[in-house]
Amino acid sequence: MGVKVRALMKSPWVFHVSAGSCNNCDIEILDCLCPRFDIERFGAILVGSIRHADALLVTGAMNRKSARRVRQLYEQAAKPCLVIAIGACALGQGIFRDSYSMVQPLDEVLPPGAVTVYVPGCPPRPEAMIMGVVKALNQLVPAKQPVEAKKEQADE
Amino acid sequence: MNREQVLEQVQNTLGDRIKNLFVKNPRRVYFDVDPGDVVEVTRIIHKDLGARFCIASGMEMERDFEILYHFGFESEPPEGVLVSARVHLDKDKPAVDSITPGVPAAAWIEREMHELLGIEFRNHPDMRPLLLAEDWPADVCPLRRGKPWEGKVDRRI
Repeated sequence: MGVKVRALMKSPWVFHVSAGSCNNCDIEILDCLCPRFDIERFGAILVGSIRHADALLVTGAMNRKSARRVRQLYEQAAKPCLVIAIGACALGQGIFRDSYSMVQPLDEVLPPGAVTVYVPGCPPRPEAMIMGVVKALNQLVPAKQPVEAKKEQADE
Repeated sequence: MNREQVLEQVQNTLGDRIKNLFVKNPRRVYFDVDPGDVVEVTRIIHKDLGARFCIASGMEMERDFEILYHFGFESEPPEGVLVSARVHLDKDKPAVDSITPGVPAAAWIEREMHELLGIEFRNHPDMRPLLLAEDWPADVCPLRRGKPWEGKVDRRI
């Protein structure tokens, strides 16, 4: 595991972009950060700029105007950058599929393979989002030492 | 000013420019006006009678286009009244005088109706597009009946 990946996994800083969502997913993301679920204990923190972030949370069905901004944000992010699509809209445009302002879905706006994890739900529960982040982090490590296994070793 | 006073004042000042007054319920009143009178009527309701311009709403109906201008006479509940003036516009070439010179708050909603429904507002001071993307074709009005954008707008960016 390179130093870059280790640093990223120790404290994944998160940038949240709401690309025209109904705000319900955004509220659940804030729930993740609040004391009840408190993902800050894992080192994750919401940052104000994509240039400081390791992970990009996207909520909402992107419309014609915001899709360009999301692509621009991804281009500005320091790589490796995890992209976590949150909610039914970010996954497949949800009920807005046939709207006039829809373009292609998120995984086609970003380069192929850029979206790391899809968290379904309308809105997804905070537990599901935390699980999504864990799965995304697990993808970074080589197959033999996933995060959970490492934790068990530490417990022993 | 209570509800009866408001109604009486509106009817007295506007006189026969009001067509088909319809009291939907104690706090909701609708009436029709001719497209030619709409500037005068909205100016009187807003400036002379002191009502707040809430919003205007445009719709494409089966036979024509409709715009409703909603004005609120606000006071302590249960006395407030919402008065809506409605105009019917031509289906083929919807156009009406802009009320923005008399009611400045209507500027943006008229731009929006122009963009999304294709209604032309004469004498509007600033008719730039407001909401749609920069590359959206100007002749496609997305809130008209059917799906007018199909085949005309590239769905990939």
